[in-house]
Amino acid sequence: MTKNISLILALLCLATSASAQPIPDSIDLSKFPAQAVDDVVVPVPSEIFAVLDKLGSPNWRGELRGSLGKNTGNRAQVALLLGTVIAEGFIAVEAEDAGRVQEIGREVLVLAEAINVRKAVIKRSKSITEKADAKEWKSVRSEFDGALQDVRGAMRELGDDELAQLVSIGGWLRGTEVLTSIVSKHYSPDGAELLFQPHLLDYFMGKLDGLKNTRLGKDDLVVKTRKTIAAIRPLIGRDDGTKISADAVQRINKMTAETVAAIASKEP
Amino acid sequence: MKKILSILLLAAAAIPLYAYVNDALSFAHEAALPFVKEGFSVREDAWGGDLGVKDQQAVSSQLFKGNDYVFCLGTDIAKAVLTVHLYDASGKLAESKSWRNGRFAFARISPAKTGTYYAIVSVEKSPVERSGWALVYAYK
Repeated sequence: MTKNISLILALLCLATSASAQPIPDSIDLSKFPAQAVDDVVVPVPSEIFAVLDKLGSPNWRGELRGSLGKNTGNRAQVALLLGTVIAEGFIAVEAEDAGRVQEIGREVLVLAEAINVRKAVIKRSKSITEKADAKEWKSVRSEFDGALQDVRGAMRELGDDELAQLVSIGGWLRGTEVLTSIVSKHYSPDGAELLFQPHLLDYFMGKLDGLKNTRLGKDDLVVKTRKTIAAIRPLIGRDDGTKISADAVQRINKMTAETVAAIASKEP
Repeated sequence: MKKILSILLLAAAAIPLYAYVNDALSFAHEAALPFVKEGFSVREDAWGGDLGVKDQQAVSSQLFKGNDYVFCLGTDIAKAVLTVHLYDASGKLAESKSWRNGRFAFARISPAKTGTYYAIVSVEKSPVERSGWALVYAYK
């Protein structure tokens, strides 16, 4: 009887392992049906900042901007600005500046209101303030990440998917400005490699090129943003493994800084 | 009347789909929980849908050398076998480890290079025609 049970168990184990598919060492991505490949997942700034922390101890406080920018009421500008402000929140968390984090949390709410998604971020804003007060930095970072998702989700629900993309792009621009500023100060090929994001830039370009809302597509800031991304693309997208030079890092820093300043002041 | 009936039918069809993806999402977040204790931060975004048996879906992500990542997959179908594996932009298997545990599947990676990586979600077997899935990832 025991022998029979052992035999059955052994057969069952055999069946389970036989059903497991071997993992292919390589796959042909070009043969993947286009509809089965999702859009590129845009990284949150803290994913990049986490690496920078491992490369050294950046002066995060020195990277904070004096002003968060001016809300002009132009929806494209507000969406881009909101992205830069949320990215600023991640920098303030790295700098462990509770006062600045709370100020940014409040500004996120103000900008969200300007594009009708205030309700989506009220809880986040409150939570950012409370957790910054308690200096729970990891939780604050998670709340900023959540705020970004909630804003984009609420915009999509309102049918403003294109505006939601601008929030992501604004965040990427400010994150890249800080990344290049830090890498420039202590250049290393490993630090510069963080800029190797060709597919992400192609994705942003595709989104900006395909804007269905023609008014949005013709907006001065959107045009400027598109030009900036197009100019950065050849500097960071070398698939041949060529290192991203110190000069390229500085050029990207200048371009992103100018674009972020234009977004903040609406002077393209 | 016919129009109202069609709307009602569409609404009825939409509700289970919503619940379906949400359940898978809850499981994906549950799968990621133990990694928080290891110092990982879980992204608030999630990706998901439903797939037939032997179907695959790719989710492309920008990953950074220097970080560790773990991709956590959940399904709402208890007896379904789903997997997730990570490939680099040239299509080479890039994960350091992958494993399954019931309705959860995982793949871990410390990228050798900064760049685009593909999380390939597959349904190996399932008692139902289409299995709901959701994927989240954590980093440190």
